[in-house]
Amino acid sequence: MAKSSKEANWPFLISVGLLSWFVPGGGYFLLKEKKRAWIILITISLLFIAGLYVGSIGVVDKVSIADKPWIISKLSWYTAQIIVSPVVMMIGSVTASGQYQVYGKPEEIGQIYTGIAGLLNFLCIINAVYLAYVGVERSGK
Amino acid sequence: MQSIATSLIASFTSPMHIGTTAQALLFIVPLIAAISVVYKATKLESMATKNFIKESASLFGSIFVFILITAIVLLVFTFLVTQ
Repeated sequence: MAKSSKEANWPFLISVGLLSWFVPGGGYFLLKEKKRAWIILITISLLFIAGLYVGSIGVVDKVSIADKPWIISKLSWYTAQIIVSPVVMMIGSVTASGQYQVYGKPEEIGQIYTGIAGLLNFLCIINAVYLAYVGVERSGK
Repeated sequence: MQSIATSLIASFTSPMHIGTTAQALLFIVPLIAAISVVYKATKLESMATKNFIKESASLFGSIFVFILITAIVLLVFTFLVTQ
């Protein structure tokens, strides 16, 4: 049976969620699931870095969505990219100058790689917080 | 050492050249691999290496085969429409 909200250790759940966002797989380190954490950290980081290599840092583009309607800007690749880590926002501020324009296939593939990396990290954040909530111990140490 | 670091950083400031060719479709392979590995890392109860590799490879194969079938169906459909 699921725990009631009164039983939930909110500071711990928030710590797990935030650490998972700051470092992909970081929440699993808090849950002492080191193997799982390292696999997620390496895979998501490699996918994101591969996306930046293919399309250059120009694929992290927050400028092109600045004048779009709210809902479109929230559904952009940039939103998915910043789920990888807050560090992506720093890259976004570097590319905001418009100095690193990228078009065509490299942009497409770079955005897909970096965006999917963000969405995979979103899955990991939710899963880590869920595991922290139910207190399930797994054998991945 | 500094020149290596500079060229490494510089490689992230200019995009790769990718043509609209059939080879460009191979960029989906690392993506499927990453999705399979991360998904299985979140879902598996036991993280025993052998089991993890087996499960990830199985998911990778399933996704790849499904995409291949979809591509073949689309190719046949396009062929029939353009004839």
